[in-house]
Amino acid sequence: MLHFYIFIPFLAALVIGLAANKVKRIHTGWLVLPVPALLFILFCTKLHPLAEGKAVKSIANWIPSLDIQLSFYLDGLSMLFSLLITGIGSLVVLYSIYYLSRKEQLTHFYVYLLLFMGSMLGVVLSDNVFVLYTFWEFTSITSFLLIGFWFYRERSAYGAQKSMLVTVFGGLSMLGALILLSITAETNSIRMMIANRSDIINSDLFIPIMILLLLGAFTKSAQFPFHSWLPDAMEAPTPVSAYLHSATMVKAGLYLVARFSLIFNGSNLFFIIVSGIGLITLCLGSFMASRQTDLKGILAYSTISQLGMIMSMLGFGTGPAILAAIFHIFNHATFKGSLFMVTGIVDHETGTRDIRKLGGIYTLMPISGTLALIGAFSMAGVPLPIFNGFLSKEMFLDSSLKLGQTTGIAETFAEWIPVIAVVGSIFTFVYSMYLVFGIFFGKQNVEKLEKKPHEAPFGMLISPIILGILVVLIGLLPNLVNEPILAPAAAAVTGDLPHIHLAFWHGFFNPALYMSLIIVVIGALLVFTLRKWQPIYKWIPGKLSTDHLYQKMIYGLLKYSKTSTDFYMTGSLRLYLSIILLFMVAATSVFMYLTDGFVISFNDLAPVTWPEVLVGIVMAAAAFATIFMTQRIAAIIVIGVVGYGLSLLFVFFRAPDLALTQLIVETITVALFLLCFSHLPALKKSDKKPAEKLVDIIIAASAGALLTIVAISAHSSKSFHSIADYFIDKSYKLGGGHNIVNVILVDIRGLDTLFEITVLGLAALGIYAMIKYRDKGDMNQ
Amino acid sequence: MEILMSILAGTLFAAGVYLLLQKQLLKIILGTGLLSHGAHLFILTMGKLNRGAPPILEKGIKTYTDPLPQALILTSIVISFGVTSFLLVLAYRTYQSNKTDMMDQLRGTDDE
Amino acid sequence: MSNFVFLPIFIPLFFGALLIFFNKKHKLTLSITYFAVALNLCISLYLGYFVFTNNPLVLETGAWKAPYGITLVADQLSVIMILSVNVIAVASAIFASSSITGKMAEHYFYPLFFLLIAGLSGAFLTGDLFNLFVFFEVLLMASYGLIIIGGSKQQFRESVKYILLNLFSSILFVTTVAFLYSVVGTVNMAQLGQRVAEVHQQGVLTGIAILLFVVFATKGALFPLYFWLPKSYIVPSPVVSALFGALLTKVGVYSMLRVYTLIFSHKLELTHTFFIWIASITMIIGVIGALSTTNVKLIIAYNIMPAIGFMLLGIGTFSSESLAGTIYYLIHDMVIKAALFFLVGLLVYHARTSNLNKMGGYIKTSPLLGWMFFIAALVLAGIPPFSGFVGKYLLLRGAMDEGHFIAAGVGLLSSLLILFSVIRIFIGAFWGELKDEPRKIVQTSGIFASGLLITLSIVLGIGAEWFYPYIQSAADNLLDPQIYIDFVLKE
Repeated sequence: MLHFYIFIPFLAALVIGLAANKVKRIHTGWLVLPVPALLFILFCTKLHPLAEGKAVKSIANWIPSLDIQLSFYLDGLSMLFSLLITGIGSLVVLYSIYYLSRKEQLTHFYVYLLLFMGSMLGVVLSDNVFVLYTFWEFTSITSFLLIGFWFYRERSAYGAQKSMLVTVFGGLSMLGALILLSITAETNSIRMMIANRSDIINSDLFIPIMILLLLGAFTKSAQFPFHSWLPDAMEAPTPVSAYLHSATMVKAGLYLVARFSLIFNGSNLFFIIVSGIGLITLCLGSFMASRQTDLKGILAYSTISQLGMIMSMLGFGTGPAILAAIFHIFNHATFKGSLFMVTGIVDHETGTRDIRKLGGIYTLMPISGTLALIGAFSMAGVPLPIFNGFLSKEMFLDSSLKLGQTTGIAETFAEWIPVIAVVGSIFTFVYSMYLVFGIFFGKQNVEKLEKKPHEAPFGMLISPIILGILVVLIGLLPNLVNEPILAPAAAAVTGDLPHIHLAFWHGFFNPALYMSLIIVVIGALLVFTLRKWQPIYKWIPGKLSTDHLYQKMIYGLLKYSKTSTDFYMTGSLRLYLSIILLFMVAATSVFMYLTDGFVISFNDLAPVTWPEVLVGIVMAAAAFATIFMTQRIAAIIVIGVVGYGLSLLFVFFRAPDLALTQLIVETITVALFLLCFSHLPALKKSDKKPAEKLVDIIIAASAGALLTIVAISAHSSKSFHSIADYFIDKSYKLGGGHNIVNVILVDIRGLDTLFEITVLGLAALGIYAMIKYRDKGDMNQ
Repeated sequence: MEILMSILAGTLFAAGVYLLLQKQLLKIILGTGLLSHGAHLFILTMGKLNRGAPPILEKGIKTYTDPLPQALILTSIVISFGVTSFLLVLAYRTYQSNKTDMMDQLRGTDDE
Repeated sequence: MSNFVFLPIFIPLFFGALLIFFNKKHKLTLSITYFAVALNLCISLYLGYFVFTNNPLVLETGAWKAPYGITLVADQLSVIMILSVNVIAVASAIFASSSITGKMAEHYFYPLFFLLIAGLSGAFLTGDLFNLFVFFEVLLMASYGLIIIGGSKQQFRESVKYILLNLFSSILFVTTVAFLYSVVGTVNMAQLGQRVAEVHQQGVLTGIAILLFVVFATKGALFPLYFWLPKSYIVPSPVVSALFGALLTKVGVYSMLRVYTLIFSHKLELTHTFFIWIASITMIIGVIGALSTTNVKLIIAYNIMPAIGFMLLGIGTFSSESLAGTIYYLIHDMVIKAALFFLVGLLVYHARTSNLNKMGGYIKTSPLLGWMFFIAALVLAGIPPFSGFVGKYLLLRGAMDEGHFIAAGVGLLSSLLILFSVIRIFIGAFWGELKDEPRKIVQTSGIFASGLLITLSIVLGIGAEWFYPYIQSAADNLLDPQIYIDFVLKE
């Protein structure tokens, strides 16, 4: 059944891709909308069985031999994400119908979106880690395509490339973690890994596994220091930002941490890294958000900070913290989704996203303004019972306070964490107000805007209105979602069902409430004085930003690649050869040394006789002479001496066939040399510097010496009888020839000879072509 | 004798390598010639030298020199002859089209 | 049946020779070419079917029994290689039909192409080390002829270096074979395996193994021996670049795969540890090369190296999983490298330049090319569910299982950089503002051939289950050299 769910978006993408261009009368979005809507309903029908503890699973074969199986499993956590993916997905598609003009490449847009939807469902439903990884990378790729939707814009390309590099980097380190996990736990199934978690926890690889896996989660969920891809991803059309880059894909990292929480939770390092990075991200993101001038930039940083907050709760790992995290994942999708959509409306209606140009348009766009207020207040955690964001925010504060009651590492930091949480929340309040008041209230300067703003068409408002209603409804009646969705999700993370009744009011003896009040008071003060302290941002040197770091890394990588590659890729044959020779000499000598390879044995040697030695000396002298020859003819003569000397040696060493062949070949070669040399310029004296010459000499001498040594050793360690004895024995009987060498050539090793002739033929063909077509010039043009 | 011949082959090899490292195409081609001579001498030496009669069967002779290296060398000689001839013509054409026979002027760049 | 083994060598040899006489009859040449590549593919398919359902085939040429004569051995690995080569051959023939015309065809492209295939098939099938040298020479000689087709001065310039380097490594090869012969008295690979095992690869044998490694690593493009490769692989016509990039380096890998499992696998802690280091360095330095340039052809050429590094990692790790990974990666890389060289060739034709900085916006003018390139880029980077993933997964898993964490880490990092290097081409060439007036791509068969290979690489990934068991059985046979030895020597 679950296969079918995941398969639907992919199938729809195919159908839309092939058919959409044929349907010209309606916006492609209308064709797409039924897909997430239907899936949403389908998932809703599974809510009831799930609440009764009946998880849904299904398995199909993919690569059974590698135990990479399409096994899907729907538990509470997966359900929460599936509902977000399909629910927000439906709203986003609906919104996009009004947002995206039909002049855009809608087919592309919706195909990417559907592919993303299917992949994201795959991520949250896969039980097999490698299937999860497959879908994970696919979400990165579809995100890349969606960010680059307006491919002709330079910023889009920059953002797309950056997001892909960062998330694929994380994906690959996650792959490393998953392989290690699979090796350690001897299974590819997440549930089995959790069942065998003692193997993993007691393994030496526990820490590397955890860090690699967290790298995957942190990059995807835009945690510090990997967060900077998210602001650049805002180049995507706003529906995409609302969907991928706030509600779903960026939460995949949270999903991953939550999913493996049962394995890692309890490790001190896990607590330190996840809570620490989460809190840093919370503070950094919320602080930086008020610096932005682009509306989507503000939202991007706010998303970063919210993700940080959820991440830190996952790090706390206590029951209430996990429930709060789950709750906030849900709430964030609602209020941030509506805020993104409203921002899109503002952009659409005013023609700008620059907060400096906006202001005071509440009267012109009251519905959007109200929706933005609801969203922003919820995000800020304003303590009123109509904002779901406040409820989860308070649970966050509460869980940070209660860390003191736990034992272990959390206790050590128990005093500091609530303080950090408050600081982060103060700035969250600040940017929420900065955003909503900056757009809708304050001084109006409509004249300067490109368009005269007015309320958006109703269709565009439907989705944010639904989300706004959800914000309020859940704010009022949190238990509506608690039992069917949140509790099972939290149960999937912690292993047992939480029994917490969500409520707005916890009495006066509730420290979290006072924290909220502090946040609101200080936050409000900061908002009113924003102009005064905003210059602080200018003091932060741009060099410290991770975006700057990223750019420097990419620039540095390309530059370093260029300089280092140019260093050896000089196009110089001498360099290439020298390196090969040096490598050969070095590697072989080291191995000869390590294996005691050098042997010399004076047994079983042929006696030294003078004629051979004399010929040898002449040959060696002639070989050296070729180096110094400056006359072409002289060079050919001395090299001829070596060749003819070799034929003589062949005669001495009882190889008549060889001697003859060598004689003939040498003669032809000399003739060829003469012919060709007449067309080539005269020999020049080497103009090399002495140092270069010395290097050449060292390389040449060591190469020659090495081969000599190996040859002597090889000759001295003959361990077997040669197969040649058989040839001597059978040459006549089986080959019918007295000349054994001939029998070998034409019969025993006839195949060699056949292809030796082929080589000769090929050479002839090449030479013929080169000469025949020599005046044709370059044929590539 | 085998040791001496190994040294001779190594010497030929070294001289060949030295020429291979030179700039002028002509010298390099000469170097390849020396290299193949060196290689062939190595092969021959590897099959033991002077152990009996030339490998042509005759009545009454029991020991012959190892025929296999000789066969291998024959194949190799022919092949290197083919390659050398091709290389010579190629050198000529390269000189013709690039107007130089110096390897340091035949480097090229990335952007062609 | 065993005579069948010779057919994958004989058919291209025969048709190659035949086509020499029709170099000016383009249509006839094409028909013969299509017929021959299709025939050869069918034969390799049948051969593969036979070997996997029955057992390896051994052909003792001239009826001289092994180890005395030259034996051709079609074991699992060999037939996998033969099959892959012939798939690439079919795609290349299709691609060539529109890009190799007129003078280039007259310049004996098709005969040389077939002889290259013959040489490759021979190298994959032979069970004799010296005969391997001979087939190396056949394929190299054919490649010498191919690299200069077109006759530009860059081609001549680079081919000189290409030939000289290969000439050197060939000479080293034949010398090393002689050394090996001296110690163990044979050149038959099965018997080499047997005899080297008998003496536990002692003494000078490991030194000889390393010399052979230098030979294969020069051909197979491993650090620091590959520097000659990138620039010489980009000068010929795209289809020749594709043949080189996809097939030539793989001969080196195949040889290593054969020699360091069958013959020199008794000093693993020395040799194979060394391989892992070389593999790691190659993976990273190669991809850094790919980042160093804006010449799109060169970017693809540099990407040959990290792939070879991955394959060597599997050989070095030397486990059933990792060897399967190497073979899977080998097949994947043949397919995707050919596809990428095709695509980049078309891109350069379209853009009239190979400089990425001068390109832009071609997704508008050539969407099909753009999307094929995009998928190819993902395949190359090993993104699942495409073919690159399966091999990489096995290799990384194998490496981690054996405790080679650094090498695995380098592999992961290089995957990221590979993706970066190719996605740069996609962004730079296909996104952005449209630059200049691109040339319309008229080579529909070129697009078709690329599409064919990309489809294949998707199938190789998604349908991994259809292929993997065969590859695993090939790997398991490599791990137990006795199987090969017994089959050839029939003891």
